[in-house]
Amino acid sequence: MSDPILSLQHVHKSFGEAHIIRDANLDVIPGERHAVIGPNGAGKSTLFHLCSGQFAPTEGKILLNGKNIAGLKPAEVNRRGLARSFQITNIFPGVTVFENLRLAVMRKHNLQFVFWRSAARLRLVNEEVDDLLTKIRLTDRAQTLASQLSYSEQRSLEIGMTLASDPQVILLDEPMAGMSHEETDYTAGLIREITEGRTLLIVEHDMSVVFSLAHRISVLVYGEIIATGTPEDIRGNARVKEAYLGEEAA
Amino acid sequence: MKYAPLLLLVTVAVLIALPWLVSGSMLNAAVQMLIAALFAMAFGLLCGQAGMLSFGHAAYFGVGAFAAVHAMNAFGGEGLLPTPLLPLVGGATGLVSGLLAGYFSTKRTGVYFAMITLALAELLHALAPHLKTVFGGEAGVSSFRMPAWGIGFGSLNDVYFLTLVWTLVSIGLLYLFSKTPLGRLALGLRENAHRLRFLGYNTHALGTLIFAISAMFAGIAGALQSMNIEAANYVVLESHISTAVVLNSFIGGVRVFLGPAIGGALMTFFGHVTSDLTRVWLLYQGIIFVLVMMFLPRGLVGELVERLRNPSGEGLARTLGTVLARLVSLAIAAFGAVFLIEFLQRVLSPEYRAGVTDGTWPDIALFSYDWAPLSVSPWAFGLGLFGIGIALVTMVNRRVAARKEAQA
Repeated sequence: MSDPILSLQHVHKSFGEAHIIRDANLDVIPGERHAVIGPNGAGKSTLFHLCSGQFAPTEGKILLNGKNIAGLKPAEVNRRGLARSFQITNIFPGVTVFENLRLAVMRKHNLQFVFWRSAARLRLVNEEVDDLLTKIRLTDRAQTLASQLSYSEQRSLEIGMTLASDPQVILLDEPMAGMSHEETDYTAGLIREITEGRTLLIVEHDMSVVFSLAHRISVLVYGEIIATGTPEDIRGNARVKEAYLGEEAA
Repeated sequence: MKYAPLLLLVTVAVLIALPWLVSGSMLNAAVQMLIAALFAMAFGLLCGQAGMLSFGHAAYFGVGAFAAVHAMNAFGGEGLLPTPLLPLVGGATGLVSGLLAGYFSTKRTGVYFAMITLALAELLHALAPHLKTVFGGEAGVSSFRMPAWGIGFGSLNDVYFLTLVWTLVSIGLLYLFSKTPLGRLALGLRENAHRLRFLGYNTHALGTLIFAISAMFAGIAGALQSMNIEAANYVVLESHISTAVVLNSFIGGVRVFLGPAIGGALMTFFGHVTSDLTRVWLLYQGIIFVLVMMFLPRGLVGELVERLRNPSGEGLARTLGTVLARLVSLAIAAFGAVFLIEFLQRVLSPEYRAGVTDGTWPDIALFSYDWAPLSVSPWAFGLGLFGIGIALVTMVNRRVAARKEAQA
């Protein structure tokens, strides 16, 4: 087993009296698709917020490529190669799909305070945007306002924006939430494609997606990771059945 | 939008020919309109493009105005800063004060941002009367435009062209700015600053910079203003200047590029015309704002652009017919409303009431007729016209709706 690309070590997060994450330990191996599952309120989203810099852990270390990123701001975490999507669609609704992706791509090229060049003439940026449009299959929607996309198209756009910084690690927070069966299949295929050569950490409620997509699965219950293993391991794990899967089957 | 370049060319040509087309008083109004247009464009960058509603833009306008007057006095329109380049001083001071104020105000968003801008502007306004060396106290600071580059700058024509060139160049620069990476990021800031942060951008620095650039152009507008009147007084820091630019920009349409400019120019023209005709012109301005916000929330230009992009599908002739019918009905209603307002204003004015003795109410002259305030006729006339106009416009709207339903 190679060194983990993302490693949570004894991570603890509490909000006042509420202990949301208690001593979570998790190693994500480079190149794997790793899913985090768990009942509602287990702390999955909080775990993502901790990894992506939205919250700082109360205790413990979060290592990205061996360097502690606990307490860094979201922008800094992003710069170090970890990008995330959001559970609630988080795009720029009032501008075109193209513009959404361009805003995302420009950052990678360090175009922030630039007011002496025309954005339309940034050849490299625009090529990358076209590339991303092809990847997320939205090329013919490029000039549509993002707010006018269908729900699953918006989720695709969201994933495209997460990809724009060319991150090593991608965190997807319930990318299939609220989707129909067809949309879910479509998005699962998309995720498979775009995470080729990257590391994925995904939170998802749809078990069929999780078990077919993930190489390994971690189960989070009441802020604790009670098991990590291959889909077969998890299916056969008694504690998991009791805490989570059994409950759902019942 | 393929006619846009042609339309632009014609507009610029008309603006250049304007001194030979209109009277001196109108040309003076045109200078004011240009300044208001530029000021509104500066505000539009911040509010329309970057989504930050500032209630204190008078501060940067005023700072630019005072800086230009002081520079006029210091350099005498020669040397490093000849008269035509004085707006640069306004722009520079606007930029610096914008960086400072923007640093603090863009730490917050929404209502809190608006409150901070308001507070900073009011702070300056309250401070100004006490800083006599800078703001000149009650009398203000005055100066003279000196000749430079072989131009006298004494005549209104010269001032007009100076203002025109600066306004057009500034608006051109604002347009180019909107096409740059930073200009595109302004839209991102408006649409979803949270997402921008997660993409790895420094939203506070972006906000500060865009605030400062907006303040810079406001400063240029302020400088043009004080150069025009050859003086600056701390009344330019008053909150109604801040409010006017907000209202003008929204009336024009804050999210379309030239919306604020056209709103600023139109409302300044409106003020110029109506302030000579009626005492309650500010009331009309307020009513126009409320009506535009209620029925054309995109603003005048915004609505026009939207209609051109998504035509009704009824063909040009029919659409024009509908528009004309609406305008005529609205004009009738507006006339009725104006009549009522003016009549009330006269009845309620202290001068008139001083003339009321022993219950005799003298006739009031309005629109070349004498009306008895205690009789039914003036009230019926005003209300009647208003009612007819509204009934007509309702009829037109119903017909359009019925046609749409028949099509569907």
